[in-house]
Amino acid sequence: MSIVDEAPFFPAMSSYFRPDNWRSASGNGVTVAIIDSGIDGNHPELESKVIESVEARVENKKVLFEPSDSGDSAGHGTACAGIVSRIAPDAVFTSIKVLGAGGLGDGQAFLAGLEYAIKKKHRLINLSLGTTKPQFFAPLHDLLDRAYQAGCIVVAAANNLPQPSFPSVFSSSLISVIKSVDTDPFNFGFHYGQVIELTAPGVNVQTTWLNGGYRSLTGNSFACPHIVGVIALLLERYPDFTPFQVKSALYAIARENQERKKLSES
Amino acid sequence: MPEQDNSQFGDKFRQMIETIDVANLLTEPLTDSINSLLSTSATEIASREASVLVRDGDQGDLRFLTAIGQVADMLYGVKVPAGKGIAGFVFSSGQPMAVGNVGEESSFYAEIDKKTGYSTQTILATPLRHAGEVIGVLEYVNRPGEPPYASFTPDEMDKAAFYADAIASLVNAYEAAKLLRELGDKVLKDDQNMGLTELREWLHDLRNSTEHREMMDLGILMREIAGRGPGEREMCKELLEAILKFSDRNRETSFLSM
Repeated sequence: MSIVDEAPFFPAMSSYFRPDNWRSASGNGVTVAIIDSGIDGNHPELESKVIESVEARVENKKVLFEPSDSGDSAGHGTACAGIVSRIAPDAVFTSIKVLGAGGLGDGQAFLAGLEYAIKKKHRLINLSLGTTKPQFFAPLHDLLDRAYQAGCIVVAAANNLPQPSFPSVFSSSLISVIKSVDTDPFNFGFHYGQVIELTAPGVNVQTTWLNGGYRSLTGNSFACPHIVGVIALLLERYPDFTPFQVKSALYAIARENQERKKLSES
Repeated sequence: MPEQDNSQFGDKFRQMIETIDVANLLTEPLTDSINSLLSTSATEIASREASVLVRDGDQGDLRFLTAIGQVADMLYGVKVPAGKGIAGFVFSSGQPMAVGNVGEESSFYAEIDKKTGYSTQTILATPLRHAGEVIGVLEYVNRPGEPPYASFTPDEMDKAAFYADAIASLVNAYEAAKLLRELGDKVLKDDQNMGLTELREWLHDLRNSTEHREMMDLGILMREIAGRGPGEREMCKELLEAILKFSDRNRETSFLSM
C-alpha cells in the first residue's frame, strides 16, 4: 500500500476544485511553452495557435535562441501541442525548438531551452524530455529553483528506462508525469510518496503529427502534455496560482477521482 | 627511407598492428553478441525486424550498425540525418516512444522504405545509454504475421529498455575497439614512406613472429577470462597489476628477458 492510500482525504479542498469550477475552461489567455522539436503551425488543428517560435543555435559554444520558421523536425513537439490543444482548445503556444539542431548534445539542448523559457517567465512549460547524465543534475536543480522563484510551472516527463532521468526525479516544485493506459485526460492519478507522482494517458494516444497528419503514440512524453492541458484550464480560472498551488490542485482533483472510483466500485 | 626513421616507424607500426589485432579480437565476438541479443529481444518483444543505430560523428547523425529481419542487409551503414525520423528524435531527446501508424506520412521512414521495398507500419524505439550518455537507438519494427500490426505495448517498451541497457554496453565496447582499429588504420594510411608490397611482407612477418603470436594468445586468454564473470575479471586485473609493479621495480633486470 502506498502512502497516498493512507494519506488523509480533504473533501473541502476537493470541493474547491470541483470539476464545474474549471473543466468548462478552455485555456483562454494561457500560453504554453513547448520545449521540443518545434511545432508545425500549419497543422489544421494548430493553425494560428503558435504565437512565437524560437530555435536554438550554437555559436562559439554558446546556445542562442533566434526566431524560427523551420516548424517541426521530428513530429514530437507537434504531437505534444496537439494533446494540449484538445484539452485546452483556446490555449496558445510558444515553440522553443531545441531538438534537431546539429551539435547540441543530450541534455545540453533542453537545459538551454529551459533556461530560455524561465528567463522569459513562461508560466506553463511542457518538458517531454530528460537526461540521465549526472553532470546535469546540479544545473537542472538550480534551474528548477529559478523556475519556482519566477512562478514558472514546469511539467516534465519521466523516462521509460531503468536509470533515473533528470529533471523528472526532482520532487520539489516540478510536476513529473508517467504514462498510464487510461484514456480520460481528467481521470489522472496522483501518487504521493512515489518518485514520479502523476500518471496520465500515454498509451496509443491519437494526436497531431507532421504534414497535417495524425499518429497513435505511446510514451511518457505524451502523458506530460495531458497534465499541461489540465493545468492550462486551471490557470484560466486561477491565473495567480503558484507552482505549489497547482500541484495541490492536481492532488485534490486526483484524490476526488480516486474517491469517486472507490464509490462506484462499492 | 633513412635507417633511423625506418626503425621508429617499425616500432610505431608494430604497436598499431598489435592494436588492430586486439581490436579485431574484441569487435568480432561483440558484433556476434549484439546480433544474438537483438534476435532474442525481437522474439521476446514479438517484433519482425530489429536494428541497432549508433551515432555517426558529433552532429547528431545516426547509422545502422546491425539489423535482423527481411531487409537487414540493405540497412547496414545507412545513415539517418540528425533529428530525422523517430530514431533521430529518440536519439536527440533520450525519450523512448512507440508509433502505431508510421506508414501514413511521407517522412524519413518512407525514404528508407522506398530504398528497401519494405513497409514500416509500427515502431518501438528506445535510446541506448552508456554512462548516462545516449550512444544510439534500439528499434523494433512491425510484427510477425500479416498486417495490420498491433502497436507495441507499454510492457514491451519496458522490456526493450532492459535489453537496451545490455545492448548499449556491448555497443560501447564495440565502438571503443573500433576506434582503436581506426586509429591504427589512419596511422598506416598517413605514412606514405613505405611501399605497399613492403608493408604486406612486413605485416606477414610480424603476424608470424613468435612474439606477436604470444601477444595474441595473451589477448585471447584475457578475453576468455573477461567473459567468465566479474570475480575472474577482478582477479585477472589484480594479477596483471602485480606483474606490472614487479616489472617496474625490476626494470633493470626484467624477468621478460629471462
